[in-house]
Amino acid sequence: MSVLDLSAAPQPPLSATRRVGVVLIALVAALSLLGPLIVQGDPYAQSLMKALAGPDAAAPLGYDHLGRSVFHRLAYALRLSPVIALAAVMTAGAAGLALGTLSAAKGGWIDRCLVMLADALLALPGLLLILMVLAMVPGTALGFWAGLSLVLWVEFFRLTRAATRETLASPAVQASRLLGFGAAYVFRVHIWPEIAPMMLTAAAFGTATAIMAIAALGFVHVGMRAPTPELGLMMVELLPYWREAPLALLAPVLATFALLLGLTLLAGSRKT
Amino acid sequence: MSLLQADDITVRDGTTTLLAPVSLRLDPGEPLVVLGETGSGKSLLAQALMGTLPLGLEAKGQVTIGAQVLNSGAPDQFRGLWGREISVLPQEPWLSLDPLMRAQAQIAEGHCLVRGLPPREARIRAASDLSELGLADAAARYPHELSGGMAQRVAIAAARAGGARIVIADEPTKGLDAARRDEVANLLLNEMGQSGGLLIITHDLALAERIGGQLIVLRAGEVVERGATRAVFAAPGQSYTRDLLAANPENWTGKAAAAPAGTAVISSRNLSLARGRRTLFRDVSLDIAAGQVFGVTGPSGCGKSSLGDTLLGVIPPLQGQVQRQPGLHPFAFQKLYQDPVAAFPPRRTIGETLMDVVKMTRSDPRDVDRLLDGLGLQPDLLARRPGAVSGGELQRLSLLRVLLRRPAFIFADEPTSRLDPITQARVIKLLTNATESDGIALMLVSHDQALIRNTADAVLPLTPPCDPARAAAKKRVAIALQ
Repeated sequence: MSVLDLSAAPQPPLSATRRVGVVLIALVAALSLLGPLIVQGDPYAQSLMKALAGPDAAAPLGYDHLGRSVFHRLAYALRLSPVIALAAVMTAGAAGLALGTLSAAKGGWIDRCLVMLADALLALPGLLLILMVLAMVPGTALGFWAGLSLVLWVEFFRLTRAATRETLASPAVQASRLLGFGAAYVFRVHIWPEIAPMMLTAAAFGTATAIMAIAALGFVHVGMRAPTPELGLMMVELLPYWREAPLALLAPVLATFALLLGLTLLAGSRKT
Repeated sequence: MSLLQADDITVRDGTTTLLAPVSLRLDPGEPLVVLGETGSGKSLLAQALMGTLPLGLEAKGQVTIGAQVLNSGAPDQFRGLWGREISVLPQEPWLSLDPLMRAQAQIAEGHCLVRGLPPREARIRAASDLSELGLADAAARYPHELSGGMAQRVAIAAARAGGARIVIADEPTKGLDAARRDEVANLLLNEMGQSGGLLIITHDLALAERIGGQLIVLRAGEVVERGATRAVFAAPGQSYTRDLLAANPENWTGKAAAAPAGTAVISSRNLSLARGRRTLFRDVSLDIAAGQVFGVTGPSGCGKSSLGDTLLGVIPPLQGQVQRQPGLHPFAFQKLYQDPVAAFPPRRTIGETLMDVVKMTRSDPRDVDRLLDGLGLQPDLLARRPGAVSGGELQRLSLLRVLLRRPAFIFADEPTSRLDPITQARVIKLLTNATESDGIALMLVSHDQALIRNTADAVLPLTPPCDPARAAAKKRVAIALQ
């Protein structure tokens, strides 16, 4: 067969589904970052006169049961969860990458101990683990960060370990080592290009999982405390008033849905 | 009356012609061999005859099978003939058997579903097929319980169960050693008998010679030469055919008697190696001197590659020692791989990888240009990635990378087994010239005995050892039972 000149081929553009994901995330980010700049307001300011009132100029999404602007509460909630989630994913990713590479490269008892630890953590339900950490760590945001990191690193660890083991056993790595290249070169040239796309996919999924966990615990009143604007907490607070103020309840639900769908589309459509 | 006649078969990819008009006929009892290098279009020819061309390729021409006249531009017409008139023996047939199905059931399936026999009769026919091939006691075995040769016979029986008289075999001996190759050739000839048709697509000269019959030599999509196989092999009419035949390791001129070997660059004493509980070899002692070509040959699975890896220090030996000549730098011991694509980082251009070596060894970047020139390589290859370079060029580029390290010893692990004959002859020539002129000790491992015989100064034939420990263990069990 004729030789395919792969090097001349341009980088494939983002697939359609991925582009939809990026657009959804960008919309949510624009709402949370730019929204309060365009329409100024305070997410904590109460005005019982306006409880459950419809949208007006100062509150484009109406008011909740305590007369707070749903728009501003939503904007702040959409900053809080993603920031905690991203911080947790970055910590978990770094830890998983480091430990996974170590495990695959060293093997032996280091590998066995780390795998056993990861399996033990997998055996515990993730939300239970986060609740336990929340009970131990002072400060809810810090507790979420620590708990989520502890749950999420296992995924990164397992991915890195599996891919790195395979790469390290390949003739390409053997050739590099015989030529005298060190561990840093092997990681940079052989291992990282192999696992980077997987890590990005796992990071997007991990962020979605983390946002969902924060919202789920908020919804059952064991996560963030009122009056902090948080997605799950907003939903459960507004649930009794769904008949009177449907828009106020729908807003956090739709925003959460758009954010999670965007992250999942961004992560899931990688074709290799 | 011929079984199959093809007139002016052409294959195009858009505007490029991949296969110029080829006509051929297949007669009962007379095999037809299509011989060519990789990229000569020989597999395209077979696919056009069967109507299995990949999407996007366009075929033209007329194929007559028995009484039916088909247009090779309309592949849908061929579907009804598959298994009934034409059957295909896939490459590496032991991989094409269903691993979860017993041997007899795989054959009975063809009799039942393709030929349309009732299940009971299909089973009886399958059993008789197996006993004809000498496999009566393998009927209830799964593919993993069959030896390679048995699996191949089962695959042939399964391919023929639909009642097809024409068998098309695409590279049936890929990856086989000489003994197995002859076995496959005999099997195919027997299956053809007096009334069947056999079309063999191959780059293997020994197989073509063994099959005989008629021969078509293809090059870059055009017929170079055609005629009776025996006549063409005896007196090739075209210069390309002459080159192709001369590239057969059997026909290489043997190496002149070597000067007495100097001090050993690398040596081993009483080396034994085991994989799992199986001993690969024991008590191997060898000395490889600078400038010497040391050949290692033996059947697949005998530990040829592992011996080289042990010398390089990649695998620890079970027993014995490896000694390197004192005073050599630790990275003077290098390896060439069977599959050069797998030996380069896939997402880096070859130029980048070579520059990494130049930078690390602090050598002169002009060395790369000098070596490129010496190995007959174009500098624009450096901008490509390993997957985009042909096998022969990439193997020369691996040699270049290894030479940048100024090695004292190179272990070449089947470096040409995936190349076609002319490229193989060229790569081996360059390899031995480079090692000779730079005084590098070369350990050349190959399953091709002719290649080793005509290239090496010294040969080590590796044979699987009779394992006394295992024999003793068996004996102990036998005694205990009594």
